[in-house]
Amino acid sequence: MNDLSPASTSLLDFLIDRINIGIFAVNRNMECTLWNCFMESHSGVAAASVLGKNLFQCFDELPHNILYHKINSVFILKNFAFTSWEQRPYLFKFRHHRPVTGPVEHMYQDCTFIPLKDEAGEVQQVCVTLVDVTDTAVYQKMMKEAMASLAEASNRDGLTGIYNRRFIEEILNKECQRVQRYGGTLSLAFIDLDHFKKINDTHGHLAGDNVLRASSTLLSESLRQSDFLGRYGGEEFVAILPATHIEGAHILAERLCRHMAGITVQYNDIDIPVTASIGIAEWQPTMVRYENLIKAADHALYQAKAEGRNCVRRGT
Amino acid sequence: MATPILVVDDSGMSRKLVIKSLPVNWDVEIHQACNGQEALALYREGKAHIIFLDLTMPIMDGFEVLEAIKREGLNAFVIVISADVQPKAQERVKELGAIAFLKKPIKAEEVLHVLKEHGLL
Amino acid sequence: MTMNNANLSIEQIDALQEIVNIAMGQAGDSLARVLDSFVRLSVPRIRLINAPQISQYIAEIVGDAEQITAMRQSFYNNFCGEALTLFSSEGCRDLAPLMGYQQPLDAETEKELLFDISNILVGACLNGIAEQLGADLNFSAPSIMAANVASSQLFSPDTLPWAYALQVEVNFSLEDHKFKSHLIIMLAEDAIIALGDSLNSFIEAI
Repeated sequence: MNDLSPASTSLLDFLIDRINIGIFAVNRNMECTLWNCFMESHSGVAAASVLGKNLFQCFDELPHNILYHKINSVFILKNFAFTSWEQRPYLFKFRHHRPVTGPVEHMYQDCTFIPLKDEAGEVQQVCVTLVDVTDTAVYQKMMKEAMASLAEASNRDGLTGIYNRRFIEEILNKECQRVQRYGGTLSLAFIDLDHFKKINDTHGHLAGDNVLRASSTLLSESLRQSDFLGRYGGEEFVAILPATHIEGAHILAERLCRHMAGITVQYNDIDIPVTASIGIAEWQPTMVRYENLIKAADHALYQAKAEGRNCVRRGT
Repeated sequence: MATPILVVDDSGMSRKLVIKSLPVNWDVEIHQACNGQEALALYREGKAHIIFLDLTMPIMDGFEVLEAIKREGLNAFVIVISADVQPKAQERVKELGAIAFLKKPIKAEEVLHVLKEHGLL
Repeated sequence: MTMNNANLSIEQIDALQEIVNIAMGQAGDSLARVLDSFVRLSVPRIRLINAPQISQYIAEIVGDAEQITAMRQSFYNNFCGEALTLFSSEGCRDLAPLMGYQQPLDAETEKELLFDISNILVGACLNGIAEQLGADLNFSAPSIMAANVASSQLFSPDTLPWAYALQVEVNFSLEDHKFKSHLIIMLAEDAIIALGDSLNSFIEAI
């Protein structure tokens, strides 16, 4: 890069001016010493009107404190500095090149602050390069949204749309840890459809699927806003009931049981009656792990089945 | 009689650089140590009238050497030569009795200046 | 440890050790000025490491820190490589009072501060090394490598494009604070050879 011929110097000048990156420089008084074509056309301010003038006086939209601090740190520490769109979307309020398809208002910018040293090694000027990263930012936003909806989908049961077993266990684990640490109450209900195998055998699996969908809709409508409902497996549902002691859980479970028994699911003009058995249990500090709460509720469900179905039993 | 001086640094190259920066024709007997423990042993044997001491070293660092020498009556001129250039480090070694603090990389003229200033030449 | 092509002699390592020592002193001074606190410096550790054992090395460096946040930054020109700055998540909680914030930092502010600190350490240390070797380095913007992960999760050794690398490790800690950071400069095979050449010229000049 040393000893440039006149021809290559003019090529360099041309490049600096016309490259698709913003380039400008300031001296210790924050006066502009370089302002390329990119900066001109995006700011709408010609080089002639900024050169030799204080940068901050020319652009009052600039985040003064942050930018001043950044530039100053380059002078003092003789070190590169950076800003990234992820922390600070833009320094200059520039329009971007996507006036039609861009879902954002301003050009996203990545800036690099480069120390320009004199022969004695002292930093006399700071050169700033500004790269338009709007496309990257837009893609990243789209990707994040896609990832979020994927994550959401991976937590759902495909048939019923309620939470799947993996996710409901994750929630239960968190809730158990929360009450274990901060106190409070927590109950769990295991809800199992009665004679579901018979429905499948008599009316076919599609009928069974309809029953599962109708049941999950009814259950989620009967639960409270703060409760969590998931499909635990086959015809088994689980409801996490935060801030609920066993008495409250019992009242709620009786209501679920009544609601379930009150509906029939229609399939090919046949009315299929449905009932459910429910086992409930309340979190005890001695349980330590969430699996023990599941065990207690599951045991209660087993009792409800053994004692005639379509009823609620408590576990300990 | 030659003055016994001690150069303490864990880096052989750094000791070499210190020794190279000493005034020519200075009548000295040079001893070297690569950590604080070795340095103290040599100091106690009387082989250290002037100590060129590094701060960051394994086993026993420069601060600890200074403390020990101060405890034992400070019978040496200690010039700290350190890469740790924080003002607080400089203050601290002066409090512990060092006569000078020189920044690495060491420069011969700075060594000369300190030696003259304290009448050691 | 025996390595085939790119290896440094004892003399070269001794020289590098001293060069790093001086450079980290400058980095520590920069950090001390920014944080207005006395920075304790470790003795720099230089070693060749094998890719398969990378997680083990990282675990050794961060000690008992359960979770770490890591920043990475590239440098290039005379020799190229990457610098990692590791922070223990626990120590980061100390950063708010240290920087004069009354409340705990939100995630973005904490990130921005860590970016600044790692940029200061990396820039000061590498510029210090380059200056002594008569080299001139360029830096790319730092990026976050991982936030609040176990040290074993930082690298997956199977995907590393190098077999062995030169690791230069420097630790900075603050007096009366839990805040701690580890700066690791990594050079892969080719860059070690370039560094070795620079070191030879440096040694010859002494």
